[in-house]
Amino acid sequence: MVTYILRRLLWAAFLVLVVSFLTFVIFYALPSADPAVLRAGARSGNQALLESIRDTLGLDEPWYVQYAKYMERLLFHFDFGFSYRNDASVREQIFDRIPATASLVLGAAVVWIAVGIPVGVVSATRRRSWIDRIAMGAALVAISAPVYWLGLVVLYLFADDIGRFPVFKGSGSYVPLTESPAGWFGSLLLPWLVLAATAAAFYARLLRGNLRDVLSEDYIRTARAKGLRERSVVWRHGVRSAITPVVTLLGLDIGILLGGAILTETVFNIPGVGRLAFSAIRGADLPMIQGTVLIGALFIILANLVVDVLYGFLDPRVRVG
Amino acid sequence: MSRHVWRVLALAVAALTALTWSACGGGDAATGIGAGAPAKGKKGGTLNALFANDLEHIDPGEAFYQPDYMMVFAVHRPLYSFEPTNLEVASPDLAAAPPKLSDGGRTVTVKLKPGVRYGPPVNRTATSADVKYAIERAFTAAVPNGYAPTYFGIVEGAPEPGRKKPTDIKGIETPDEETIVFRLSESSGAFIKALSLPITAPVPEDYAKRYDAETPSQYATHQAATGPYMIEAGKDGRITYEIGKRMTLVRNPNWSAATDFRPAYLDRIELTMGNEDTTVAARQILKGKGLINGDFPPDPPVIKEAVQRRKSQITFAPLGNRYISLNTKVKPLDDVNVRKAIVAASDRNALRLTRGGPIVGDLATHFLAPGQPGFEEAGGMKGPNLDFIQNPDGSMALAAEYMKKAGYASGRYTGSETLTMVGDDSGVGARTAEVFQSQLQKLGFEVDFRQVPHDTMFSKFCNVPEARVAVCPNVGWLPDFADGQAWFDPTFSGESIVPENNSNWPQLDFPAINEAIDDAKKITGQARRDKAWGKIDRMVMAQAPAVPWIWDKQANIASSDVQGAIARWNAQWDLSFTSIK
Repeated sequence: MVTYILRRLLWAAFLVLVVSFLTFVIFYALPSADPAVLRAGARSGNQALLESIRDTLGLDEPWYVQYAKYMERLLFHFDFGFSYRNDASVREQIFDRIPATASLVLGAAVVWIAVGIPVGVVSATRRRSWIDRIAMGAALVAISAPVYWLGLVVLYLFADDIGRFPVFKGSGSYVPLTESPAGWFGSLLLPWLVLAATAAAFYARLLRGNLRDVLSEDYIRTARAKGLRERSVVWRHGVRSAITPVVTLLGLDIGILLGGAILTETVFNIPGVGRLAFSAIRGADLPMIQGTVLIGALFIILANLVVDVLYGFLDPRVRVG
Repeated sequence: MSRHVWRVLALAVAALTALTWSACGGGDAATGIGAGAPAKGKKGGTLNALFANDLEHIDPGEAFYQPDYMMVFAVHRPLYSFEPTNLEVASPDLAAAPPKLSDGGRTVTVKLKPGVRYGPPVNRTATSADVKYAIERAFTAAVPNGYAPTYFGIVEGAPEPGRKKPTDIKGIETPDEETIVFRLSESSGAFIKALSLPITAPVPEDYAKRYDAETPSQYATHQAATGPYMIEAGKDGRITYEIGKRMTLVRNPNWSAATDFRPAYLDRIELTMGNEDTTVAARQILKGKGLINGDFPPDPPVIKEAVQRRKSQITFAPLGNRYISLNTKVKPLDDVNVRKAIVAASDRNALRLTRGGPIVGDLATHFLAPGQPGFEEAGGMKGPNLDFIQNPDGSMALAAEYMKKAGYASGRYTGSETLTMVGDDSGVGARTAEVFQSQLQKLGFEVDFRQVPHDTMFSKFCNVPEARVAVCPNVGWLPDFADGQAWFDPTFSGESIVPENNSNWPQLDFPAINEAIDDAKKITGQARRDKAWGKIDRMVMAQAPAVPWIWDKQANIASSDVQGAIARWNAQWDLSFTSIK
């Protein structure tokens, strides 16, 4: 198992290098805007100023030298550079935003697991009942509703500042957990519900389908024939087996969203990594784009790694595969 | 990113959809609440300004954009600054009186007010040496200032920008702590006006040099205020500015109202960033308490709602212009008659509709915008007496006449050249470009229309003469201050054409215009300046290097309990004059 984990870690490190190289090539060697002009930040027709900035930032060096220096700073000093827009340290900015994104994503994950799994199980075990039909109908609606649209709708309905039924805290109300746990919880309720809606629906449908297949397996019939209670049959033998793909998906979803739940963060003005990335992309702030992409990739690779390791534990065949 | 780039970006948000309704009338005045002389307000209270994006530069040596100015002018005191309703003459701010000119305008002497003190942690009186240092540091790579070489490059001994360390500028003398003398290589009216830019706000060298030693300078996050407000700071002196989240302005305890024309009613001002869904933010402002818009104009549906149902909460302020540049160096646009034909054929009403119709601005008939010095001299709303700009819907018959003069007997373009046009790939800018493309095609032109992101359009194409882009449909201008030089020198002087980040997009290099610009730059009397720049506007229009099509108006909104005041020079709320009812 240790060898397996080490092998996966090496692969993860290699993948991070590849991502860093690709993003560097895309954003530095083939930029959509001139970094020196962006850095100058004003009407900079003055060529001496532009040359000076290029010299200071090393932009006049060959791209591979720039990449080597970037990686040296990154690997040995964990330095992502400075924003062209506001001179802020990219590392500080990203790490400052991670708690908000983690709060949003992990809270939403709790919601979608708490809703999606029971609904999936009930629907699978009571096929074609009215509960199943209502649950799957609602799931279809939730899957079809884009997060951005759903976010706006709930804000206009339930936000305490612009909503018709002012129940929940609205956009821009995010409070860090360390500042006020109650305020944190209240400000994230709506975003959690919105972000979780699609995932919960998808997980419910996925689990329903898997569980239906599993429940028709021979070993389930055997379990029932042995006189096990139905609850044990479903939860201990059925769900345990059917939930494996859901676990895989959960790991990937959390990894992707930790890299930035851009839409939800934007609608609810939550100062997370996603909004930082979005803002950097819109402003062609290359160091910030590079930093957020790398951090996003790191989260996805780590999530993949966790899932792979979990698979290794769940299925020994993977370890030798 | 240059100011015009920012401006076009910011205003792109203003008209997300093409809504058409008639609201505010034409003319040069700002309309709505806060547009007139600021009313006396009540002391105290907290105001919250909602921003979609972050401030870009909060160091007074770097600040250049509208939203930056909104904050910087509440925190810092340049030598001169504009009162909300005054667009032409800046009032003495850190200075005690208007500048004294001598030696034919080549020596400018400014006396400072005594007793203007920095807030914590500096806590001492601002001196003339601090102003000198503030200007010198703006020529370093650590404090990249885009306008320093433009307006302060004529100070004797001014270095090339991008120095490693601040260089002593011999042409700035400080005979005593309250006197600063600028020795110029030539007289300049724009230099006098540029004394109102935040580069002249004092920076205490003894305190700032350790932060300026870093590249980029870290003074922004440790800055010392001289204005009525200061950015809330921690015990270590580092300001508690959470980039992309919020900034809090609190009263500067060392500010003395006796030395300032700002009333500074508010006790506390919160700047909240990240309201990227501007429709939600605008509705929060209209329905909430103590809120104003920061860097974003409200979306058209919100403007419509406010105009119809909340008139007391919306105001409109003239901003700048938009035009479509025609590259005078590219065939067949190097023929003035072809350019005149294109201007004549342009349906400016249709172009304006792409942004939202009359509500977003008046139809432009020349370049200087309403209310700007020299506007009337340039022809006012009616414009210069040139037939090819008279018809707002365009005249194909007149266009055909000019095409015939250019040698195209059919009245349509029959040559082999294809016009390369580079414009926005999204939003209203893309629609404007598409409409203009169809207008060019009506005249017989083949158009190779390349759509790219807005920044790319400037930095890779329109700002690069070597790219030989024939038509740039999404450009416009907001001057550094209300003066003809700030309008025309960067945009239509042949001497301003540079290989990179060029803002003379038509690459107009007409000797008579260049000469007139050079002469006008030296004029220091306001009336003579206005006349000279108005004449230059007419001269430029006669060459038809572009299709001016709109003079923008920026909408600003506030909660019902806010008594707002618009800084007309910045077309945004003036935090030092705004109060809570």
